[in-house]
Amino acid sequence: MTSTTAVMPETQVVRSLSTAIRQTIALARRSTLELFRQPALVVPSLIFPLFFSFLGNSTFGKTTSLPGFPQVNSYLQFQLAGTITQGVLFGSVTGAAALATDIENGFFDRLLASPTSRTSILFGRLAGSTLFGALETAIFILVLLPFGADVAAGVPGIIAMTISGALIALAVGALMASVALKTGSSEAVQGTFPLLFILLFFSSAFFPRETMSGIYRTIAGLNPISHLVEGLRALSLEGFTASATARAILVPLAIAIFALLVAQTQLRARLRAN
Amino acid sequence: MSNSPIIAENLVRHFGDVHAVKGINLEVKAGEVFGFLGPNGAGKSTAVRMLTTLLRPTSGTARVAGFDVVKQADQVRRSIGVALQDAAIDPLMTGAELLALQAVLYGIPASVLKKRSDELLERVGLTAAASRRVSTYSGGMRRRLDLALSLIHQPTVLFLDEPTTGLDPMSRLTLWEEVRRLNREGTTVMLTTQYLEEADQLADRIAIIDHGKIVREGKPADLKASVGAPTLIIKTNIDQTEKAKSVLSTFGDLRPGAEGALGVGLIGGAALVTEVVRKLDEAGVHVAHLEINEPSLDDVFAEATGYRLEGADNAPSAGDNGDNGDEKPKKKSRRGRK
Repeated sequence: MTSTTAVMPETQVVRSLSTAIRQTIALARRSTLELFRQPALVVPSLIFPLFFSFLGNSTFGKTTSLPGFPQVNSYLQFQLAGTITQGVLFGSVTGAAALATDIENGFFDRLLASPTSRTSILFGRLAGSTLFGALETAIFILVLLPFGADVAAGVPGIIAMTISGALIALAVGALMASVALKTGSSEAVQGTFPLLFILLFFSSAFFPRETMSGIYRTIAGLNPISHLVEGLRALSLEGFTASATARAILVPLAIAIFALLVAQTQLRARLRAN
Repeated sequence: MSNSPIIAENLVRHFGDVHAVKGINLEVKAGEVFGFLGPNGAGKSTAVRMLTTLLRPTSGTARVAGFDVVKQADQVRRSIGVALQDAAIDPLMTGAELLALQAVLYGIPASVLKKRSDELLERVGLTAAASRRVSTYSGGMRRRLDLALSLIHQPTVLFLDEPTTGLDPMSRLTLWEEVRRLNREGTTVMLTTQYLEEADQLADRIAIIDHGKIVREGKPADLKASVGAPTLIIKTNIDQTEKAKSVLSTFGDLRPGAEGALGVGLIGGAALVTEVVRKLDEAGVHVAHLEINEPSLDDVFAEATGYRLEGADNAPSAGDNGDNGDEKPKKKSRRGRK
């Protein structure tokens, strides 16, 4: 009898976990399908970063010889990390806006009225953004590679960059999801877009911090986007070293964990408000 | 303790200063279709959201399918089917994909999913449209898909929140037939509606809710019988209203009429109509329109609330979401609603 009562809760935990994983996968599939069925949302987050990349290469190509600029084969090689971060940032806004739309149109209530694990609702949505982040990263590398955006870390580096891109998508997606859960408004989520753009320009996405001066340099140093970009850039420029890989993976991972905690808190707050 | 599938005791919900639901008590018996009738802003949806675990009651208790809606919310969710007011269905997904998603969310094994999904699609007449995206569906098709989604786990208690609002008459009839069929098969149905005819046609018992309170409850036939006399409705010039009221009041209790009409419950029955017309004529009242109605749910509603549901402004107000629960619906005409 004792052994039965001891085993039952464990079985239930395993069953609940397995159900939650199935639910998360099903919701992730939905968010991914939804994303790819809206090319008008997906294409700009691929096209614009590539456009900026080529524009930057032709405009700032000669800046690579400035003092403080790292040793690169081309500006594109330096810019690759910024392009990836830019694309992933904008793609993540789209995913979070979709969560807000679910809240607005009542699909979120449909999920809440079902026995779906509340964490699965959040993670299912973020999994779609994360997968899209990985895909965007791979696309940017493959498109820019023939134009001089070499990845010094080779194939292992490309894989690590793809993982890093996915983690950046998860981190930004979770932060944007917090905005969606807090406001329940897709307009509010879309409203963060200019803010992200400003943050991107006040980071080391387009120029190394070493070439900056004054307040701009201070802001770029404090800006988390600089650290996300520089992790990716380390793989692109330094090669597949332990330090580069750690920076590329651990920085976005730490931000993602923090962002997930914020998003979970916002989810609980929204559920409590009901 | 009663084993009825839906029991609410003194259920209250406040949103700040707004008292959307002010202590409702109800018991829905197994196998019943229970109609929750009231205008927008009356508190119907707020009550249903509490019963379906989407809102926590401010006070009071409710048990659904034998489980407490607060303490055993997860068990309640597993036991009930819910089709909410807005038929929130992802337009980018196909009907079949949404059914598959819903099945996973309710923990239905993949081995039975295909069979059940096919059965439900056939049942609601969407087999041919199953692989089409929901964005291509008509309003009626969306509602039917919503119903199919709410049935994927074969619930014994089904909540339908205004299931036919905005539908054309044919789609409404199709949905009514499906509700009757489900009920014949043993499903207990709680249906909120603002349509008198819908409540009359479908519900075994109804509760009329107004400003967060249940003001009448019973079988439609019993409620109509309780009103008693048929209602004579007349329309006259506005400057003759007081004179007409004075004549009508000698034949029975004055009752509210829609769109500025005057009503009187004819205690002596319909046979008195000629007498009423003669008296009005003698008093110099010009009658522009006259009709006699057997007691209807609208009469029951009017008697209970002091205004008519048919004439009430049922344009969406925030009250159903709890923002305007105390505000009296405006007595504005809305022709051809029913």
